[in-house]
Amino acid sequence: MRLLNLAAFCFVITSALFLYGLNYETRRLEADVMAHERAVQKARSDISVLKAERGHLSRPERIDPLARRLGLAPPTIEQLPTSESLADLQDPAIHAPGR
Amino acid sequence: MHQVVDTMSDGATNTNSDLSHRDVSGVQEQPIMASAQSYVRREKLAHLGLIVSVVMAFGAISGQLLLLGLSSQPTISLAAAEPIATSFSRPDIVDRNGRLLATDLEAPSLFADPAIVLDRDELVEKLSTVLPDINQADLRAQLSDKNRRFVWIRRGVSPAIAQKVHNLGLPGLSFRTELHRAYPAGELAGHVLGSVNVDNKGISGIEKFIDSAGAADPVHSATLSTRTPVRLSLDIGVQHALENELENGQRRYRASGAAGVVLDIKTGEVLASASFPSVDPARPEMATSPVRHDRIAGGTYELGSVFKTLTIAMALDEGIAKPSTMLDVREPLQAGAHTITDFHSAGRPLSVTEIFTHSSNVGTGMLALQAGPERMKAFLGKLELLTPMKTEAGAMSAPQLPRAWERAELITMSYGHGLAVAPLQFAASVATLFNGGIRVNPTMLRTSAAPNSDSAKPAQRVIAETTSRQMARLFRLNVTDTSGTGKRADVPGYRVGGKTGTADLAARGGYQEKAVISSFLAAFPMDNPRYLTFVLLFEPQGTQETGGQRTASTNAAPVTADLIARIAPQLGVTPQTIAATQ
Repeated sequence: MRLLNLAAFCFVITSALFLYGLNYETRRLEADVMAHERAVQKARSDISVLKAERGHLSRPERIDPLARRLGLAPPTIEQLPTSESLADLQDPAIHAPGR
Repeated sequence: MHQVVDTMSDGATNTNSDLSHRDVSGVQEQPIMASAQSYVRREKLAHLGLIVSVVMAFGAISGQLLLLGLSSQPTISLAAAEPIATSFSRPDIVDRNGRLLATDLEAPSLFADPAIVLDRDELVEKLSTVLPDINQADLRAQLSDKNRRFVWIRRGVSPAIAQKVHNLGLPGLSFRTELHRAYPAGELAGHVLGSVNVDNKGISGIEKFIDSAGAADPVHSATLSTRTPVRLSLDIGVQHALENELENGQRRYRASGAAGVVLDIKTGEVLASASFPSVDPARPEMATSPVRHDRIAGGTYELGSVFKTLTIAMALDEGIAKPSTMLDVREPLQAGAHTITDFHSAGRPLSVTEIFTHSSNVGTGMLALQAGPERMKAFLGKLELLTPMKTEAGAMSAPQLPRAWERAELITMSYGHGLAVAPLQFAASVATLFNGGIRVNPTMLRTSAAPNSDSAKPAQRVIAETTSRQMARLFRLNVTDTSGTGKRADVPGYRVGGKTGTADLAARGGYQEKAVISSFLAAFPMDNPRYLTFVLLFEPQGTQETGGQRTASTNAAPVTADLIARIAPQLGVTPQTIAATQ
């Protein structure tokens, strides 16, 4: 009977310690989850800012004059080959060895 | 004791109070006897009654607690959030290729707590060094009310400004992160996008559509939307080209305004839509200015000769005439007190084809008279020109129809006067004409990639296919023919077809002297029309380049040519060599 009591007492102590540890572990994990959630939130916010910045930098209003300053322009019809002109094309490079 | 328990439980449950009443009355009904036995019995009964009452009372209280706990939670949380305005979390808006047009950003909003503010004047003074455009008197008045705990000072400030305010170190100032709508492309497609109010709620254009479609979620904190972006039919590249060419045209011909639209004839998708003077979606107050209204969908205009497209199409579709039918157009037409003449009289009978290429008022007037009001009305009705039309960006201005459909109205309508429609509605009607006669419903949202796969709206034929082909041929001829009014719109390789329109601008009580709307309606490639452009210039002036002329053939047509030369390669239209097109 005494042995049984002792065993029960030990069990109570260990389970109390275990629960105590578990409680702390849970709190730590909760803090971890919150930190991660904050990081996700921050990353989302950063992504939206970066997306907006990319959109702002690549807006045609800005790219157009920059491209023109570099000598670029909308393609003209002379630059666009038609199927007939492609058929006529005899590119020697196609038949060059080592390709 | 009975009474106390009774009042405690009173109102909690009826059964309980009834029971205890019965108890009390049971006690009183006992005959009063001086024997000890009955006294003991009374004591016992009283004890029992007490226990039952206590149990009942506790039961009632715990029951009530349970009910309260279950039911009143939402009310409590709402009360806590009440002083803070509800804001909306919105999905992104992207163009047809996924390029960003509008997005939500987290931005700090500055507010003050008047109860904590120590020195009102110092706060206002110092704050105005960082935010110079603040209304000082207004802020002072708001801060002087010590009963208030919350006063917005500026919503959506930049992080740099927020840091500066923070550095002032003033007590009572605080920040809240809010969502703020940003338009990275600036004013691009401002009229289509619309705008949002300070709570991030859509108030016009596509932004309003997002709200009405239920895609904007009310939030209490800055929570970015996780919804899929709203994909528009617009193409940023085409939109920019259109805006750029319209601006050039407006400057070159000293016009007071300009507008244009590019439409995919096969799907009804609006690829670009612009109106000048433009609006900035980030500044909603701009759109309230009357000169900045959306001239493509938000205004109706008498469009002039471009309307002859529909009169001729009606004549061909109703079998009134063939392209080769000759009409004697030498005599002017009488319409009431007015005499209808041609701008350049040919001095000989003209075929229907020539009536189109010469843009003969008399010729189209005669065709409209031959058809009569009923058939004219039915034809315009089939093309959905007589009823209000709408897209996702909102309802277009309703067409203004003549009061009566008599001889005079019929003649003037045949060449585009006396009936005012929104340019986008007109463009959609003509798109139907070129879509092989199958109805085109204009849309601002990207439809599925494969044309005509939309099963919700089955293809609806309204015009005969032969009419569509004949009209395409007429349009092309008007550009290639040396005497055609649209010859300045030709772009080598892209088979452009088009029609000019120079309409007198309506003003109060008549038409304005020398003020016109010149427009050019074009489609390409004309062997299988795929894209439609409609360009309008408002009040263009005669310049050296145009030889002092204001007609569409000298201004709107070359603007269209520049536009198509830019957008056709973007849209992947295969060019033909110049030799092959002739």
